[in-house]
Amino acid sequence: MEKTDIPPLLIVGCGTWSPWFENWDAFVAKVSGGELEEHGLKAPAASVIPGTERRRAPLPVKLAIEASTQACAAASMDPAQLPSVFVSGLGDTQLTDYMCRTLASENKALSPTRFHNSVHNAAAGYWTISVGCMRSSNSLAGYGVSMPMALLEAAVQANNEQSPMLITFYDAPVAPVLQPLLHNRHAFALALVVTPTSALDAAEDSKALGTLRLSSGAGTSSWPKLGLPAPLKECYETNPAARSLLLAELLIHKNKDNPVTVPLSNGTHMALEIS
Amino acid sequence: MDIRVITYESTSAAGINVSELRRAIDTRQSGLRRNDLPGSSIDTWIGKVPGLEEIELGHWQSRNNALADLAYRQGELEATVEALKTQVGSHRVGVVMGSSTSSIDRTEQAYTELDDGSLAEKYRQAQVHNPDGPALFVAERAGITGPAVTINTACSSSAKAFATAARWLTTGIVDVVLAGGVDTLCLSVLHGFHSLQLVSSNPCKPLDRNRDGINLGEAAGYALLIDADSNPELADQFRNVSPGASVSLRGYGESSDAHHMSHPHPEGAGARSAMLGALATAKLDPGEIGYVNLHGTSSRANDLIEGKQVAALFPSARASSTKAWMGHTLGAAGITEAIICIDALHRDLAPGTLNLDELDDGLELNTSPENTEIPLKYALTNSFGFGGNNCSLLFEKHLR
Repeated sequence: MEKTDIPPLLIVGCGTWSPWFENWDAFVAKVSGGELEEHGLKAPAASVIPGTERRRAPLPVKLAIEASTQACAAASMDPAQLPSVFVSGLGDTQLTDYMCRTLASENKALSPTRFHNSVHNAAAGYWTISVGCMRSSNSLAGYGVSMPMALLEAAVQANNEQSPMLITFYDAPVAPVLQPLLHNRHAFALALVVTPTSALDAAEDSKALGTLRLSSGAGTSSWPKLGLPAPLKECYETNPAARSLLLAELLIHKNKDNPVTVPLSNGTHMALEIS
Repeated sequence: MDIRVITYESTSAAGINVSELRRAIDTRQSGLRRNDLPGSSIDTWIGKVPGLEEIELGHWQSRNNALADLAYRQGELEATVEALKTQVGSHRVGVVMGSSTSSIDRTEQAYTELDDGSLAEKYRQAQVHNPDGPALFVAERAGITGPAVTINTACSSSAKAFATAARWLTTGIVDVVLAGGVDTLCLSVLHGFHSLQLVSSNPCKPLDRNRDGINLGEAAGYALLIDADSNPELADQFRNVSPGASVSLRGYGESSDAHHMSHPHPEGAGARSAMLGALATAKLDPGEIGYVNLHGTSSRANDLIEGKQVAALFPSARASSTKAWMGHTLGAAGITEAIICIDALHRDLAPGTLNLDELDDGLELNTSPENTEIPLKYALTNSFGFGGNNCSLLFEKHLR
C-alpha cells in the first residue's frame, strides 16, 4: 500500500489576499502578465467581523477571515454550514513578541484581549463567531508543509463526512526578533471551498473551478519551482501559507494526467492534480 | 469505528506515568502545589511535573519538548513504536500532537536574554519557536517519517488529535498514529489566564458550589492507534495493556460555539452538539455510556454550563472532573483525560471528582468525590477550548 488515493473533490470557490492583490480575480489578472505592484493596504477589510471585534482583530485573523469570506461568496455557500480547516505555519509572531517582551519586563500584566487573541486558533474562533458557524473547525500548524497538511486534513474530512469544507491558509510577516529564524516578510492568505463530487448536483457541478485529485505516497519530494514574479516567488518560498500559490497556479492552468508532487513529511509526499 | 488503542502513557503532576497516575487516583492524592514557577508571583496552585529542568535536548531544548520526551520514555510506548515501525515502515506511522503553548516557554526565556535586541545563539531554534514544534520534535524523537502535524485549538487540541488520527487511519494514509499532546507551565499561560480572572488562589474544586477558578497544569501523553477494521491482524498482534480486554475509540464529535473567544456558549449548545456527534458516529444511545469525564475546569461558567448538558444527556452515567489531580493542562487536557477514560474502562473504575465538597446547586449530576468500582463498557470525555472549539471522544471496551 505505497500510495493512497483520496476521492476527488470539486473546488467551487477561491479567495485570496496579499500585498499585491485583494481578491481572486485581481490575482488571476496580475499573475497572467499584469503588473505586480503593492496596493499599499496594510490589512484586508475582513468586514464580516463585527465592528468592535474587528478593531482588535490581529492581522493573521483578518487575513484568514478575508480570504474565507471571499471563497464562500464565490462558492455561493453559506459560511455557517461549512466545517473548516485553518492553517498557519508560523503563528502570530507579533503577539508572541508582545507577550514575551511584556513578560521579560518588570510589569508582567498582559492584556486579556491580546492573550485570548494569541491562541493559534484565533482565526478559526473569530470566523465561527462572526459567521455563526457551529460546525467543526480545526486549526493546524505544519511549518514548511502546512499547505499539503491542511489539504490532507480537509480532503480526508470532506470525504469522511461527505460534506463541503472551507480550507484557509494564512501567514503574516514575522516579528523582527524571530525573523532571522522564520524569515517570512509578507502577508498572504488563500482559501478554498471544496466539496465531494457526490455532494453537488449536476447543475452546480458546472460551476466548479476544477477537480482536485490528491494522493499520498512513500518517499519525500522537493517543492516544485513556480514561474512567478520575484516578490511572489519569495513569498512562495518563505511564507508557508503561500505554498498554496501552487494550488492557484494548477487551478488556472490545470495539470490533468501530470500530477505534481510536494513534500508531506520526511518519508512521504503528496501528489496533486487539478483538472 | 474501531480505532484500537494499542498502548498509552501519561505524564502529569499526578504521576510520571500511567502506573503512578493510577496510584494517585486510587489514593485520591492530588499533584497540585502552590505556585512556585520561577519569575511568577501569582497566588495560585499549579500542577507541575518535577525534573524537567534536568532534561537536555540540544537544539530541541524547551520545557515543552522536555515534557514530551519524558512522557515518551514511559512504559511500553517507545518499544511498541519501534516494533511497529519495523513492521509497517516508519513512513506508515503518523504523528498528531495537540498543544497550545508549543514551546513558548523557550521564546519567553529567549526574550530575557536578548543580545542587543537579537536572539542569542543558543535560542536560534527555528523548529522550537514555531507552533508545529511539538509534532516536529516527536517525529524526530520517535524516528517517525510519516505525516506529522500539530493541532492547536487551545484546550480541545489533543482531543481533536484523536479525530484526525481516526480519519487518517480509516482513509489509509498511514497504518499507525502516535496521537498525543503536550503543554507546559510558563509565564504566558499563568499571566494570561490571570488577566482573564480565571485563575483561583486555592486548589481547584471542579463542579463545587464554592469553586472560584481554575488551576493550571502541565502534562504530556500519547496513545498509539491502529484501525482494527482495516488492519485487524496488526491490531491483534499488538494488543495492549491487559490480556483480557482492549479499548477503542468508537466515536467522536466536533463543534464550535460561535459565541465568544473566552466564554462558552451560555446554553452549552456547542458542548451538547459535540457530545451528540460522538454518540452519532458511535451509533450509540446516551443511556449506554457508563462514565463521563467532564472538561470541568473549575471555572464558574464552564462547570455549570457543561454540567447541565451532561446531566441532561447522561443522567445515569457516573460523571466526574479529574482536573483536581493535575490541574487544567490546556492543550494536553484532551489526551490526559482520554487516557483516564481508557484506563477507567480497563479497570472498571470511574474516578470521582477530587476536591468536591458540595455540588453546585444548579447541577443534578451523578458525581461524588469518591471513585466508584463499576463495570464499564463505554466512556465519554469532553474537551472545550478558547474560541469555542469543542471535542467529545467516546471509547469502548471489548472483552476477549
